[in-house]
Amino acid sequence: MNERAGTTGNAGMDTTGNAGMDEAASTADGTPMGAAEAAVIMADASQRARRQFRVSHRVSFTVWGLGLLLGYGTMWLNVRGQRPPYGPDLATFAVVTLLAVGSVMSGLNEARADSGVGGLSAIRRRASFLSVLLGLAAMFALGGALAHAGASQAVISVFEASAPVLVAGLFYLSTSIVQLNWPVACLGAWLLAVAAAGGFAGPAGVWGVNALAAGLAYLLMAAIEPRLRWA
Amino acid sequence: MSEDGLDPVIHAPARLRIAVTLAALRDGDNLSFTKLQDLIGLTPGNLITHLRKLEDAGYVTTARNGSGVTARTSVALTGSGRAALERYTTVLRQLLDSASQPQALDAKR
Repeated sequence: MNERAGTTGNAGMDTTGNAGMDEAASTADGTPMGAAEAAVIMADASQRARRQFRVSHRVSFTVWGLGLLLGYGTMWLNVRGQRPPYGPDLATFAVVTLLAVGSVMSGLNEARADSGVGGLSAIRRRASFLSVLLGLAAMFALGGALAHAGASQAVISVFEASAPVLVAGLFYLSTSIVQLNWPVACLGAWLLAVAAAGGFAGPAGVWGVNALAAGLAYLLMAAIEPRLRWA
Repeated sequence: MSEDGLDPVIHAPARLRIAVTLAALRDGDNLSFTKLQDLIGLTPGNLITHLRKLEDAGYVTTARNGSGVTARTSVALTGSGRAALERYTTVLRQLLDSASQPQALDAKR
């Protein structure tokens, strides 16, 4: 049955100590590989591969959580107390920048896990990343359209605060449901609820509600993600 | 039960590692040669030799994309390779079970 190539001693060993070309059904010391050794090799290789191929969302959750908490928090501090609301100034730029940085960092983080893996998963991940960017771009364009149509600053403020969270929530919910990833689906559903309900807090309060309710939800997910992956 | 039932193409430490590593990928995915080499810990020559044996059996496919310095060789497990690994795992489990049963009986005595 088995090729026996253990006669070359350590000639087939590579730098990592693994038996190389000259091994067949033999272990590194030249003895035939038994069922128990094969089972150990399978368990080890499987565990190592799964660890390597696993995509962690921890960095992206943290980046988005901090982005929302700091960006939206700054915005809330900037616009609260305005009577009538006339909107943010530099804070808008800060939020847009933070969200853009968050998107790029999320993409880079997930692309790093992709390195070496090609095919459908890599294409799917790139398409998802692109869809979030497109969603955010469309959202900002719609904000401009609302302003152009004569919407008040109060309406625009509610839209600007809620729409990114709505886009993110919809993205998480739709992608995670397909994979039956319930924790991320819950995050998506929570973000949708926060985006919808937060609007009722008014043009200033909406920023504070989203900063706390959405930002902390992201940070909570970042904290529990490693445990969820091992569960 | 003897180990003769184990597929000889897979029943070698390096090829078993290769097959298990590639099986951890999702359907439709492939792995770059360099990443596989990094995970398995073989020299390029050794890895090529083992891949060729697996490829000859129809268990893996290799594809070269691009040219020059940007060329990337990717490796993927085929459907029959996945099926062969599943059969191998089943036989291995039976072997381990049959090996543990006499020991359990001895322990009872």
